[in-house]
Amino acid sequence: MTEAPLLDVAGLSIRIDGTARDLVSDLSFTLNKGETLCIVGESGCGKSLTALALMGLLATPPLRVTGGTARFRGDDLLTLPPAQMRKLRGDRIGMIFQEPMTSLNPALKIGDQIAEAVRRHTELSEADARAHALEMLRRVRIPAPETRLDVYPHNLSGGMRQRVMIAIALANTPDLVLADEPTTALDVTIQAQVLELMRNLQRDTGTAMILITHDLGVVAEMADHVAVMYAGQMVETGPVAAIFDDPQHPYTIGLMSSMPGLDGGSDRLVTIPGVVPPARDMPGGCRFAARCPFADAQCAQVPPTTSAAGNTSHRVACWKAPLEQQEDAA
Amino acid sequence: MSNPDTFQTAPSRQTLSEVLPPKRSRVWAKLKKNPAALLGGGIVAFFCLVAVLAPVLPIPGPAVTDFMAVRKPPSAAHWFGTDEIGRDVLSRMIWGAQASLMAGVVSVTIALAIGVPLGVAAGYARGWTDAAISRVTEALLAAPFLILAIAMAAFLGPSLTNAMIAIGISAVPIFIRLARAQTMQVLTEDYVEGAQAIGLTHRDIITRYILPNIVPPLLVQATLTIATAIIAEASLSFLGLGQQPPSPSWGSMLNTAKQFLEQAPWLAMWPGIGIFLVVLGFNLLGDGLRDALDPRDN
Repeated sequence: MTEAPLLDVAGLSIRIDGTARDLVSDLSFTLNKGETLCIVGESGCGKSLTALALMGLLATPPLRVTGGTARFRGDDLLTLPPAQMRKLRGDRIGMIFQEPMTSLNPALKIGDQIAEAVRRHTELSEADARAHALEMLRRVRIPAPETRLDVYPHNLSGGMRQRVMIAIALANTPDLVLADEPTTALDVTIQAQVLELMRNLQRDTGTAMILITHDLGVVAEMADHVAVMYAGQMVETGPVAAIFDDPQHPYTIGLMSSMPGLDGGSDRLVTIPGVVPPARDMPGGCRFAARCPFADAQCAQVPPTTSAAGNTSHRVACWKAPLEQQEDAA
Repeated sequence: MSNPDTFQTAPSRQTLSEVLPPKRSRVWAKLKKNPAALLGGGIVAFFCLVAVLAPVLPIPGPAVTDFMAVRKPPSAAHWFGTDEIGRDVLSRMIWGAQASLMAGVVSVTIALAIGVPLGVAAGYARGWTDAAISRVTEALLAAPFLILAIAMAAFLGPSLTNAMIAIGISAVPIFIRLARAQTMQVLTEDYVEGAQAIGLTHRDIITRYILPNIVPPLLVQATLTIATAIIAEASLSFLGLGQQPPSPSWGSMLNTAKQFLEQAPWLAMWPGIGIFLVVLGFNLLGDGLRDALDPRDN
């Protein structure tokens, strides 16, 4: 913990040109070598935008990073010139996308797609790159990898394609992998296989990972640290055990209780009432206030500050935290 | 729950390829089931074969005259009859097919060679590059295709080569527009983002991710444009701006024939039928390709 973090994001803000409110607002987190950070939140909360901003792939215009830094091995990913960013991408930072069915080039054999990522960043010959591609297919446990090198993506199932995507992302043993909902498009049994594969590969290579998901089951399985996002802001962050055992933010608590459990006696799933406020109409105070059972006048007016919860790196942005005291008082 | 060993005994290559046949063979299978496309392909293949074999077929030379047989109707000696100076019409039809097909293919090749790079550049770079290329394209499209071709052929001077260049340049806007639109569409695909995520350069993305994926619509358009180009070449030759005498061309044969419509109607009939069939063949083939390559059905 004493060594500098691999990635240090501070104050990241993203907005659409011509609007006044941030889609991602003042986001800060750090990630150490080899660790996994899960960013959790519902659709549209800014998870994917954050990943794209770190990759330098934000569609600018109209989306634009309006503030913050993202230190990665001494460089600021948010201000690095495009040519240098291209050198980092695929080499030191890999990315796994959500949709394996559409994320591979239908006109290229998969062996060539992996080899392409390798040759772009190394001096390997075509034959060596091909051998490396074969090795990568083997490592992502694709059966009969020798024959699979020369097939096109449409010959493979979704799970297989996601394995190929992982092979491409990890081909150059990156320091950091961004995985944007890598298992959402897969069915449940394949999900478990792919997650296990990612965890094993991560352990072997010491790669750090930012895993974006809305699936708390995935979080429990993969995360070292968790960052919970709501409407573009980080509302709670901390070690996975702290978040699951002692969630502090009302939104996190709501997420936890809407997970169906085996021991729950209820027939109906628990939901959080209300919807995420639209980006053009963000409230001035806490963005969760309108849906929060604990909210009062202060919550609606003044944005909450972040405070430490407990004696770990567990932090929460809520006026009512720690909640036990509230409940005791009430 | 996830035992890797169970995964490794997953479907063998054979069963997998039964479920998902390669795309190429799927396209071919669909084409084979389309009788109109097969007919079109057959017509095109027949004319190509005849045109290529022209030098070795047992026919008189296209410029050989026989003054004993001037303007004779079809007979055993001259299956398609003879023209006004005793040349064999079948021979001239066959050699004319060469000119027509070559004009079609060469002019479309010119149009592709100029139009696709410009269209891809406009669609990829956007901004002022796109604005400049698109405005020029629109200016060219404002003039009707054939009028533009005639004007350019007249400017370049009458010859088959110049006619092909004129037709090719007139067809450039079609391919700029198509390549631009297709490029923009491919750019929205996830795999382009994937290519960016592995740090590929613009050149790699264009040559390996965009071009291969815009080939199918370009292929269809090229096939259909060949038909248009063949009509354009016949029109230019009819006006004397294409193939020059004595070399045969269906268009110039029609031009001569119009003076003898009453006395020797076969002179006009054969080139008319030839143009009709070749254009029909390319159109049927192009439509068939469009259906077979349509991703919505795959």
